[in-house]
Amino acid sequence: MSDESIISKLRDILRESSAEERDWNRLDGGTTIQSLGIDSLTILDLLYDIDQVFGITLEAAEVIDIVTLGEIAALLKQRGA
Amino acid sequence: MKSLRHLLEYQLLRLALAFIDKLSLDGAYRLARGLGGLWWQIDRDRRRVSYENIRGSGIETESSRAILLSRKAAEHFAMIVIESLKSAEILDGDHWREHVRLDISPDVMAVLDDPGRALIMASGHFGNWEMAAQVLSRFKPVAGITRRMNNPRVEELLRQIKPRYRFHPIPKYDADPTRLLAVLEKHEILALLTDQHASSGGVPIEFFGRPAATYTTAAMLHLVTRTPLCFAACRRLGPMRFELETSPLIDHRPSGDKRSDVRAIFATLNAHLEDVIRRDPDQYAWGHRRWR
Repeated sequence: MSDESIISKLRDILRESSAEERDWNRLDGGTTIQSLGIDSLTILDLLYDIDQVFGITLEAAEVIDIVTLGEIAALLKQRGA
Repeated sequence: MKSLRHLLEYQLLRLALAFIDKLSLDGAYRLARGLGGLWWQIDRDRRRVSYENIRGSGIETESSRAILLSRKAAEHFAMIVIESLKSAEILDGDHWREHVRLDISPDVMAVLDDPGRALIMASGHFGNWEMAAQVLSRFKPVAGITRRMNNPRVEELLRQIKPRYRFHPIPKYDADPTRLLAVLEKHEILALLTDQHASSGGVPIEFFGRPAATYTTAAMLHLVTRTPLCFAACRRLGPMRFELETSPLIDHRPSGDKRSDVRAIFATLNAHLEDVIRRDPDQYAWGHRRWR
């Protein structure tokens, strides 16, 4: 799966789980998690959705230092997405 | 003015601690029951909440019995404070085994004995949860979310005198999931009290048949990391005698319906908590506003 395809799926996940009105198509690899209004609790929701959509369970150590969507995409690609 | 008040509180606490230190165990328990009863008489709001929670839960519907239970629960809370202050005497070395009976499910014990596995341990404000954390830290380091005292002098004093062994407090204001994930990454025990009112971001979950706003962290951490999860409780059997029991491991795989998964996990956790409360209702902190 290409980086863009992974980012696109991440956009869909975020669009569906967020109550926020925003232009989700503008999200790219450089978008920070923090800028999306994802607070510390909803990061767990995001990980749940990633597990469901990609079939990949990320390890605790892998997600601790994640800052951007691009870093999540790279991690998912590394894990076989 | 505030620092003067803090200093006064600190000095009063030191005096109280010196006094308690001189007391025999029996005397300390009698003092705790007396102070707990006095506090129950004075704090009308807490008394009302406690009474309403007891009746609302169906644990005791008859008024005079609910009042009596409410008072006993206040005495129990004061006894926890005394036990925490005196716990160094029984938790030294291997002495704790003479004071704490273990009823740990074999699958949970296998995780505790495995240095390569973390454990999420959910509990409630039942029995002596501080004792539970200290005993469990004999097996693996334990991290739990704690609230700091408003008075920094008191906070520091309590930090010095209360035995922690391998228990590491995570301040409530700093308890974001990345901190909690780091605990699991180190293969430690993450102890969470799941019966606190969730002021924001919580999900209404049935507790004693009534919806109560609940933080989903314990369930979500289990779902996204697959870390083993169980319920634990530490009941008082007698003066400085306890029983630490756990449920078997709860293994819930994500179904794709997040809310339903969280509800299913908490249905199990709350069933265990309700069960231990029904057996010893005077050992539950009825005075906290669980249902709002």
